[in-house]
Amino acid sequence: MKKLLVILMVTLAILSMAKVKIQFWHAMGGWRIDLLKSMANEFMKLHPDIEVDVQYTGSYHDTLNKLIAAVKAGNPPDVVQIYDIGTQVMIDGGIAVPIQDLIDKDKSFDIGNFLDQVLNYYRVNGKLYSMPFNSSNPILYYNKTLFKKAGLDPNHPPRTFKELLEYAKKLTIKDKDGNIVQAGITWPLHSWFFEQFMAVQNAPLVDNNNGRTGRPTKAVFDNEAGRRFFRLWYELSKNGWMINTKREDWTGARQLFGSQKVAMLISSTSDVALMMKLAKENGFELGTAFLPRPEGAKRGGVAIGGGSLWIIAGHPKEETEAAWEFVKFMASPEQQIKWHEGTGYFPIRKDAVEMLMNQGYYAKYPHHLTALLQLLLSEQTYNTRGAIIGAFPEVRQIVETAVEKMLNGEMTPDDALAWAQAQATKAIQDYNELYAH
Amino acid sequence: MIPYVLLVPTFAIIVIFIYWPAVYSFKMSFYRISPFGNRMIYTGLRNFGRLFQSSEYIHSIKVTAIYVGFSVLLTVFTAFFIALLLNLKVPGTPVYKALIFIPYAISPAISGTLWTFLLNPVVGHVNYFLSKTFGISVDWLTSKPYALYALILASVWKVVPFDTIFYLAGIQDVPDDLLEAATLDGASSWTKTWRIVFPLLSPITFYLVIMNIISFMFSSFAIIDVMTSGGPGDYTTTMIYRLYLDAFSFQKTGIASAESVILFGIMAVVTFVYFYFGERKVHYQ
Repeated sequence: MKKLLVILMVTLAILSMAKVKIQFWHAMGGWRIDLLKSMANEFMKLHPDIEVDVQYTGSYHDTLNKLIAAVKAGNPPDVVQIYDIGTQVMIDGGIAVPIQDLIDKDKSFDIGNFLDQVLNYYRVNGKLYSMPFNSSNPILYYNKTLFKKAGLDPNHPPRTFKELLEYAKKLTIKDKDGNIVQAGITWPLHSWFFEQFMAVQNAPLVDNNNGRTGRPTKAVFDNEAGRRFFRLWYELSKNGWMINTKREDWTGARQLFGSQKVAMLISSTSDVALMMKLAKENGFELGTAFLPRPEGAKRGGVAIGGGSLWIIAGHPKEETEAAWEFVKFMASPEQQIKWHEGTGYFPIRKDAVEMLMNQGYYAKYPHHLTALLQLLLSEQTYNTRGAIIGAFPEVRQIVETAVEKMLNGEMTPDDALAWAQAQATKAIQDYNELYAH
Repeated sequence: MIPYVLLVPTFAIIVIFIYWPAVYSFKMSFYRISPFGNRMIYTGLRNFGRLFQSSEYIHSIKVTAIYVGFSVLLTVFTAFFIALLLNLKVPGTPVYKALIFIPYAISPAISGTLWTFLLNPVVGHVNYFLSKTFGISVDWLTSKPYALYALILASVWKVVPFDTIFYLAGIQDVPDDLLEAATLDGASSWTKTWRIVFPLLSPITFYLVIMNIISFMFSSFAIIDVMTSGGPGDYTTTMIYRLYLDAFSFQKTGIASAESVILFGIMAVVTFVYFYFGERKVHYQ
């Protein structure tokens, strides 16, 4: 009996030693924690020799901070999800195994299956450093029921800034004291929308072709395109046609729209599934549309946002190989469809889109089609590929501060934009000093 | 020998988690450091120079002074007043005591969240009440100057119980014969409160002012982060919140270290004042 036990233990020990353990850190909270765990479990069933330890490490900010601490302590994870705007910081840190190197070695992997719009964002100087995973862009959600009540055509969402102002005005209801009972529109007070509306007008954020042909040296968004959007934001808020949220308050904006306090919402396509549910619960008909454009502006498009998966260097060879298998699996069409259906982030691959289309998915869920078509119909230029800036988190903070100063009446829209550009330039140059030598 | 051996665990923890990081941040304040630490450039005192030339940092110093000043004043007087009321021994005092002390037991992040809910401009109770009774509605957390009022209100609410406990204990220690003598001399209760009780409690007040300065300067971080995130604009960005932004949002370790050195200097002064004047100027019984 004792002997048997010893043998059992020895075999168990050998088995567990044979297993390669990798750590995966991600920043997807809420119900998505379980979704990612179930995806990892499926992966482990297919690869019994690999064990994936999935850890939710807080927001994108927190995850990057934890990664930095872990790298300094010499104990980083194998795979980590980093947000879009962390791309340059990660490259400058020199701590990752560029995905491109792994793709070049792996004959079975065809990068041609991925959407160009997604690859264009994550390719820096022609090289793919991380594996695209969760991608989204902003769309206009609107409440068709409230449109009808206000006497607006529910099948004609606003397509220009002018129409947006008219609609927002008609959709706003105030009581006798002038308090807002229902407002026309909201979107989270987030710099992302500024960046996107610049792309919509095919205008750059920084020089050197939005940082795509060299490290940017200054911000260049103080132009007609930027002013149009700042003025629109100001006009909507000043008249009480728009309710502004706290900084980066996605939930707050969603709640306002879900509770029918506002008739239109601009938010991420990663909310599509949630919005459909909210509309059903609150008994209104949901509509989705592309972002409105200023009349007469150049046609641009939207840049993607979201995150990608990075493989961190400095691990034993078999761990890096296991990490590569895992990353490939997470970007496979089946998993991308599962992820898409569970969240609203669109599939990043052509073959996944094709599979969904053949299943009649887009006929059944037209809102998901809005999200995808807006991206596919985007003009492909440096401006719609999204900017690459090392100091991006700080630039975002600056733009949000400028918007708040404008909304508070401390600065005019034009002054706020000029101030933001000057501050952003300072932040960019500050960052560049580190890499000057 | 044994006393030293027993001290070792505590001492080791303090050195590893407090002294060493403190010394290290002194060192880092002289460098520019890349986010992942792979680039370090020695810049001497330039980080400090830049801070004091930066209008944002000067602004954060002003915000801190206003926020801390008003919060401390309000806290001390509110706490003293509540302690006086609690000392009246009306029926049900233990229940009031328990209710008044609750905020102190709630973590700062939770209390920030509670206030955020209450002050929500659209669905919050405060605005509901205000609009029903006065027909006004205020964007508490996103407009000037209400964001600062809201922040001070929430911070004071959180710290008042701490001060109240000290005052209540102090008031109960005021000798009855002193008050009786004053009553016989014809002093009103207003005079007794401000001419006898309050001066007698001056060591407590001094201690509380120092403790409150420390707690509003440093522990206010969670409440600010949850309620306003330093906004609108940079209107409620205090020094500690600026430090957080530079260190953990923008990964500027060098600048952030310089800011923490500055805060260290301020704390050193406050502590010095406490030990120096605490012994001399304050009236002890």
